[in-house]
Amino acid sequence: MLTLYLSGNEAIAYGLVQAGVRFITGYPGTPSSEIIPAAQNLVKKKNIKAFIDWAINEKVAFEISYSVSLTGLKTAVTMKQVGLNVAMDPFMNSAYIGTDGAMVVVSVDDPGPHSSQTEQDSRFFAMAGKIPVLDPSTVQEAYEFAKRAVELSKKYSIPVMLRSSTRISHGRGDVKVEEDFISEPINVTFKTIKDWDKKLPRYAATPRQRLMLHGLLNEKIAEIERLNELKTFFSGDILIISSGAVFSYLYELIEEYGLEDKVTLAKVDMPYPMKKYDFSNYKRVITVEETMPVIELQLCTEGRRNGIVPKHGELTPDVCEEILERIGLIKKGKTISVPPLKRPSLCPGCGHRIALYALKKVFGKKAVYSGDIGCYTLALNFGVTDTVLCMGASVSFGLGIKKAFEIAGKDQDVVAIIGDSTFFHTGIPPLIDAVHYRVPFLTVILDNKTVAMTGNQKTLSDHVSSFGEPVTPIIIENVVKGIGVRFVQTVDPYDFASSIKTLKEAKRFLKENKDPAVVVFRHLCVNTKEGLDANPIYNVKILKEVCKGCKVCITEFECPAIFFSEEEGKVDVDKTLCISCGCCVNVCPAKAIVLV
Amino acid sequence: MKLVILGKGGQGVIFFSRMIAQAAIKRGLSVRSTEIKGMAKKGGTVEIQMKIGEGMSGLVKRGSADMVILLSNDIFDYAKTFGKNIFSFNEKEIQTAFASVPMRYVNTFLLGIFVKKTSLFECDDFMDLFDEENKKSFLKGCNYVQS
Repeated sequence: MLTLYLSGNEAIAYGLVQAGVRFITGYPGTPSSEIIPAAQNLVKKKNIKAFIDWAINEKVAFEISYSVSLTGLKTAVTMKQVGLNVAMDPFMNSAYIGTDGAMVVVSVDDPGPHSSQTEQDSRFFAMAGKIPVLDPSTVQEAYEFAKRAVELSKKYSIPVMLRSSTRISHGRGDVKVEEDFISEPINVTFKTIKDWDKKLPRYAATPRQRLMLHGLLNEKIAEIERLNELKTFFSGDILIISSGAVFSYLYELIEEYGLEDKVTLAKVDMPYPMKKYDFSNYKRVITVEETMPVIELQLCTEGRRNGIVPKHGELTPDVCEEILERIGLIKKGKTISVPPLKRPSLCPGCGHRIALYALKKVFGKKAVYSGDIGCYTLALNFGVTDTVLCMGASVSFGLGIKKAFEIAGKDQDVVAIIGDSTFFHTGIPPLIDAVHYRVPFLTVILDNKTVAMTGNQKTLSDHVSSFGEPVTPIIIENVVKGIGVRFVQTVDPYDFASSIKTLKEAKRFLKENKDPAVVVFRHLCVNTKEGLDANPIYNVKILKEVCKGCKVCITEFECPAIFFSEEEGKVDVDKTLCISCGCCVNVCPAKAIVLV
Repeated sequence: MKLVILGKGGQGVIFFSRMIAQAAIKRGLSVRSTEIKGMAKKGGTVEIQMKIGEGMSGLVKRGSADMVILLSNDIFDYAKTFGKNIFSFNEKEIQTAFASVPMRYVNTFLLGIFVKKTSLFECDDFMDLFDEENKKSFLKGCNYVQS
């Protein structure tokens, strides 16, 4: 055994690869993004032959991995909880058809939410899809359950979900891992085996056969349910049932408050499928779980439905204390109020900032800006984003909102703002609709050639795969022109004059033609080494005698490297944050920011 | 021991915390931690909660931290919500760090100061955890306290 200090995501990667998984796809999403890079590093280090890389979106990632599992390989797919929504169609179907090798669906939830749109519970979706789900409580269990998920999937020929959460995936701990990586022979049998005809009704099932497959699925679930046991700790007559990270907080609190003879704590490793248990020995039975009543509904206990457990928000140790107080077990001390932290903003020198500032200059504050999921959502801070829903929705919103104004007979400028990776993910289909229905709004594609928000994963514009093999870069302009967009211009947003000129041309095109337009702003992410190394250096200074203290550079541009000095009544540059991009010289109305 | 380490994105707060964790593991102690990195990188708050030698989770309740290590002094009020015992770096220490080592090694310089000023670890606990540049910076930090 080795002891390693691993994150939950690294532990999951370790467990999957060690259990024989040789094919992993996924789409980046906080807090799930580090699983694929960790698995890549591991197979490189151990010299294991495998395909582990990103897919265009979660639906495609799921389908690719699932098809490989049908050929006999052990596979996995990784995503965040809202990514599971995108993959829902193949996810629901895969339970009926089952697997041949093995398939683990890693879906990472984000109670809080810390960096997500929803607090949805992937375990609930597993229950809806009749897919068994394992829910680790510690980083050690993340490793162990990853292996267990592969074994369970292999044994019952069914996809198995490994549900993690922010606290597990971005948690760290000393993890005991096996040293050996067994190498099993990889044998692809698809369509080469003798009784292929008998298999076909499963792989290409008609509705009648689907009914039979559903029956078969129910048999598998009943068998798995029969073997699903609770682990119990302590010995009180109040039973608290839990799973996931919350279990560990409750365990700690029971010890801290000395409740060992008042509470029995039951741990559920697999929150679905659960069998019925005899709880008649207990005075009360309460489930405390994140974030929806999955165990509670199956076992019909107290919990969220009778108001003991909050219906929204993360169940932190502090919230778990409140829950124990509500049950009547403890008297909690007074709640500590937490001051708000400074809101996040785009990095100093980010190409998105100056691009969106130019956009605001040309289209004005009255234009409708439909935003999307990515760093540029932060343009909300300086008034260049009015809507944020889900991946790709900026373009659908641009289409819909422009149409609504048209129907009402009103003129309105509408701009959709989307990043390169999000455009590929789900931004292309609504743009096809926009071309087809001839809807005149602007789509701005911010191309920084990386998935920046989730930690700079590779995109489809790369020339090499994560393993250094040559891949074909996908050119955004070709895709957009191929769809039939007639106005397509590309500009480096650091060239402010060209940005303004291009946007004015786009605006004119929209007025004169009843058709959508696209402007691609291309500038490498300065948060990558390549981007920072390639970035031009323009040192700036503030002419104090010229600065009027109007704060336009702060409120309308929001560069973290510019701050307002209350003593002087003027702005100054924080040299520890400034990367000398020189963009801010375009912003000051008094021309007080100048190049050195 | 319950620790909270707070700072800003770009300061190397996570590296700082991982070195402490590794040093504790070397001493045979259990380490559990949780990292909240926020949405923005530069300028955003980075928060690491850590339990050394105790507990099952890495989370630290408000008001219960044995020590809060603060790498960015403008979030002092937020730091106080975790516990009274706050370890922060004074202006002179920060200036010396920036003057003594390249910006990306400032965190290990400050780690050296932290290790010397508190009695939780020995400098030797960290020696084989670093590459050469970080080791140099760390030792400069340690020596700064001695001088």
